[in-house]
Amino acid sequence: MSDATTAVLSSAAIGDEMTPLSRAVTQEQVNAYADASGDHNPIHVDPDFARAVGLPGTIAHGLLDMAILTEAVARWAGGYEQVASVSCRFSKPLLPGQTITCTGRVIDVDDSSGTASLELEAISSSGERVLTNGRATVRLAR
Amino acid sequence: MPDQSHVGRRYEATGQVVDGAGAEAFAKAIAGSDEVFAPGTVPPTYAAVYALYPTLYQLFGDAEVGVNLAGLVHGEQAFEWPTPVRAGDVVDASAVIASVEQKRGMTFLGIEHEAHRQDGAVVCRGRSLMIIR
Repeated sequence: MSDATTAVLSSAAIGDEMTPLSRAVTQEQVNAYADASGDHNPIHVDPDFARAVGLPGTIAHGLLDMAILTEAVARWAGGYEQVASVSCRFSKPLLPGQTITCTGRVIDVDDSSGTASLELEAISSSGERVLTNGRATVRLAR
Repeated sequence: MPDQSHVGRRYEATGQVVDGAGAEAFAKAIAGSDEVFAPGTVPPTYAAVYALYPTLYQLFGDAEVGVNLAGLVHGEQAFEWPTPVRAGDVVDASAVIASVEQKRGMTFLGIEHEAHRQDGAVVCRGRSLMIIR
């Protein structure tokens, strides 16, 4: 079931910019992700534990950052089911209270398979490159 | 500590139900205080729940491999979704230790994932890179 109000992207050209997505990530949201994913590692939810292992405080799950990056791709492509692949490196932690901004650019279009490839990254509001080496493939409407 | 002898070890989690309520809670967590994107569809990275964690926790609990959880960092992740997953799908997930490398005093553990519906359609392939300090 796809969202009928969202138009599926039907064409793309090399150099096209993905519509950026910014989201303020709170500790409450990180706690909700811990509950929903089942990943309760204390570095994400326990500030004292996080500081004891040398972090500035709790950090968002890398897979939460990647989920927001994937949403950015899906919004641009017109639905989650258009997203064929996403990959990234978890380069720097995102700290609760920061805003993550996801950007991307089309680097290849394959007319025979009806897909477009993007390079992606995500930066934090303090300028850290949170997600690097990002790539995605989307299925275009045919 | 993982070493070359552990390459090829396989962990399976069969009969994982892609739970609609669970996927909705996951979608809300991704949205935070924003509106949920595409309600009623399963966020692709919900693969963490039906494919990654059920197999990775077995690997992390494998005393013969001996992953030091206190030093574990998720370094990289790749996902492919050949067939979109839907709420109610029942999938069999597996994880295989694909590579173990020692570099700069750290261990780099590569893990390959696959999850398919019981009719054979592959809903997710993935690769995780875990770094153990």
